[in-house]
Amino acid sequence: MSGRVAIVDVAQTKHGAPYIRNLTVSDLVYIVVKELLEKTGISIEDLETIITSSSDFWQGSGCSNVFYFDAAGAYLKDSPKVEEDSALGFVYAFMRILSGHFDKALIVAVTKCSEAPSISDITSLNSDPFYQRPVGIEEVTAAGLQAQQYVSRYKLSDEIRAEIAVKNYRNAINNPYAHRRMNLTIDEVLGSEILAYPLRRLEVADGSDGAVAVLISSEEAARKLTDTPVWIRGVGWSVDHYFLGDRDLLEVVSLREASERAYKMSGIRYPRKQIDLAEVCETSTVQELLWYEGLGFCNRGEGWKLIADGVTGMYGELPVNPSGGVLATNPYVARGLIRVAEATLQLKGEAGRRQVPDAETAIAHSTHGAAGSHHTVIVLGR
Amino acid sequence: MRKVAIVGVGQTRCGRRDDVSFPELVHEAVKEALEDARLDIKDIEAFITGSMPAPMSGINAPHLYWADAVGAYRKPIIRVATCGTTGGSIAHTGYYHVASGLFDVVMVVGAEKMYEGDPQGVMTTIWDYRYERPFLAGAPGVFAMQAMEYIHRYNFTLEEVAEAAALLSVKHHLAALDNPYAHIKQEITVEDVLRSRIVAYPIRLLDICPISDGACAVILASEDKARKITDTPVWIKGLGYCGDEQLLADKDLVWWLSAVKAAQKAYKMAGIENPVKQIDVAEVYNPFTYQELTFYECFGFCSRGEAVKLVKEGFFNKDGQLPTDPSGGVLCTNPIGATGLQRIAEAALQVMGRAGKRQIPAVETAFAHAMGGSYSLNSVFILSRSK
Amino acid sequence: MGEEIEPRIIEGALSLPYRWATGPVGARFLEGLKNKKILGTRCPKCRRVLVPARKFCPRCFVDTDEWVEVGDKGILRTFTIINFSFVGQVRKPPYIVGIIELDGADVGFTHFIGGVDLTDIEKAARELRPGMRVQAVWREERKGDILDIEYFKPVRE
Ligand SMILES: [Zn+2]
Repeated sequence: MSGRVAIVDVAQTKHGAPYIRNLTVSDLVYIVVKELLEKTGISIEDLETIITSSSDFWQGSGCSNVFYFDAAGAYLKDSPKVEEDSALGFVYAFMRILSGHFDKALIVAVTKCSEAPSISDITSLNSDPFYQRPVGIEEVTAAGLQAQQYVSRYKLSDEIRAEIAVKNYRNAINNPYAHRRMNLTIDEVLGSEILAYPLRRLEVADGSDGAVAVLISSEEAARKLTDTPVWIRGVGWSVDHYFLGDRDLLEVVSLREASERAYKMSGIRYPRKQIDLAEVCETSTVQELLWYEGLGFCNRGEGWKLIADGVTGMYGELPVNPSGGVLATNPYVARGLIRVAEATLQLKGEAGRRQVPDAETAIAHSTHGAAGSHHTVIVLGR
Repeated sequence: MRKVAIVGVGQTRCGRRDDVSFPELVHEAVKEALEDARLDIKDIEAFITGSMPAPMSGINAPHLYWADAVGAYRKPIIRVATCGTTGGSIAHTGYYHVASGLFDVVMVVGAEKMYEGDPQGVMTTIWDYRYERPFLAGAPGVFAMQAMEYIHRYNFTLEEVAEAAALLSVKHHLAALDNPYAHIKQEITVEDVLRSRIVAYPIRLLDICPISDGACAVILASEDKARKITDTPVWIKGLGYCGDEQLLADKDLVWWLSAVKAAQKAYKMAGIENPVKQIDVAEVYNPFTYQELTFYECFGFCSRGEAVKLVKEGFFNKDGQLPTDPSGGVLCTNPIGATGLQRIAEAALQVMGRAGKRQIPAVETAFAHAMGGSYSLNSVFILSRSK
Repeated sequence: MGEEIEPRIIEGALSLPYRWATGPVGARFLEGLKNKKILGTRCPKCRRVLVPARKFCPRCFVDTDEWVEVGDKGILRTFTIINFSFVGQVRKPPYIVGIIELDGADVGFTHFIGGVDLTDIEKAARELRPGMRVQAVWREERKGDILDIEYFKPVRE
């Protein structure tokens, strides 16, 4: 490998804000790319590659990247589209820099959930037409099956689940880019209607509108562009079996695999000790616990303790989702890259009221697929 | 920079494949590629997949649907999709997986099951919902306009260009007879083409590619691994990718800047200054005969407006100066998500000297192309026997 | 840029016809349902019985080589009760989805769980527990698709 790769800077929309509802997907992309160029002081001519990330089904458009191609500044540039998960767009851009072919790469991701059918409508189409779709498997149903299994196997209480939601929505209050910023009580979470038993409405991530852009570069370029480069220390991504029945939904093997790869690359042996904060992609409350376990923050079945002991709270030893996470903000395909952007702001010390003090090492995690079948783990450091 | 080589390819029989499910079709190509490279699934470190927009198959996130079929359990997999260019884009992605140093052996898989959905209905959604979607009838409608623009630009008569287009169609159909994976296998004459039904004036049925079901897999490896895996590694000597504007009407479709630049980038990296001299065979992404004429010009295979004449002279024939599409090309086989990758697989087979009856003698360097998006995205690969 | 214009929304819908091939293994599995048989295939390497029947084992990456009929009863691995609507939903909510470990199979099987009164969701949830036995309820008229099984119902044995 030809050396270190850094994140230079990031830009995001005020996700879910009323003003972006009336803008096109293309407008959102244009706003974040423009802002990022201004922030980093580079011109669009300085960029040779722009990796985009979106979904054709979400956008209701074949080749969704073509719609915002010009807006991404990609005219006459090398600009592919990584589908479904923008964290994978990020790792692709990372590989492009590592290859030595490019010294800078822009990654931009977008989804406007308000223009599309619901998450369940779309993700029911992730299911095969023969066996899983006819019995109603989509993201929320799969999350319900997974949650119920967790509750049964580990005797998880309703209150712990609700506390995860309370924590994340409350953290979001400190994040000006977050969508659902709420100060809720446990009773309010548990009082919201059941969506997929045992999960309630406030335990399941609803969609948002939003876009995010990240500029990465070689070490040499980064030194010129920023005083606070954030280094990409490790990456890993992996997939589980397709059929829910083939998997143990609580084993999260693909997350374990992805984190092992990322940790090995970054030399992390004791994640709980060596990581200062994590931005994870929890599409349900119970998933946040499972991701703690898969990321090696605790043993199997013990994720609840980190909540009970406040370890992953804003003032805990390993804050998780200081941004409010995906429960608060979920522009579907963009959510993975938002985790990267938020972790970057933390390591730059630019996270404002949601800043975790003295953060040295952070994790950005993303997932897609029923009950988290695909996972990406990115380790960032100062 | 790390060198990357193609060490194995696998293709399925293409056509209407109601005999297998989508994952099973993909699985066929994966197995073929493993066998071709004499590798086990354990040897593959990561997977790169792609197909047309997911609405084409009616399955969202098809990389998850295919995950078991490609053998990706607990391994890295990624989906890259850029419409018709997908086959090129996933090969680029595979290249960077290896070139980055993160992986040594990866598999790139592209597939499509076009008989299961409504391809033209999906392709219409590529266009802007506000301004262009109501007018642009799938792919043929757009390419017909491109053909007319080409005829007008260089002051041709329709008959002159139609004849060159028909000659290309005849040539490709003949070539497809030699390709065991090809879909349309039918001997035709120039008269057949010129008398076939007008689909979108001036384009006739035999000027147009079919829709196909099919899959293709290509295994890429780092230099160390490639030398161990095969005696005939095919080196990716150059690659280029470029896109132009979103709206159809913004673009010059006769002098496609994205096609011109994609080729120029690949040429520069591969040290190609005179494409006709230095390239021994080209697999051009040619879903429409008229369009292929413009590509020849954009790629520097001839000067602007010269393609019609050269086609008539047999310049691009199997025994011509720059043979194109000995596989029969997209015109005879078109499972879109695999189509661009098939160009690379076919070009690689030519370089390996393993293209069977479609082999062009003594191929040292081959050209492979893919096109897609709002006719805005182009990918070019230069493959070579030497590093 | 001049006067404020009311933002516009253009409504659209994509409705596309599909015809998906099941493959021969899938066809035989679905045909089996017509005859009230749930068929799996066995992996020659890891020996697991996979249901629905697979052409190849997703772990070992080899073709399966043996057909095995599994039971239409099994153990409930997990469940959820759905209380919201989405496009293309087959059942009207509320309804129960479960993963079932069929007798003789080595993987789970996803299907509806029925025969439970759902007027009170939380009460219904208390009647279900992972580990309980369930049994397929077959439709009278079977067409060779996954819904030839109407649902699985809890059984006492
Ligand atoms: Zn097996």
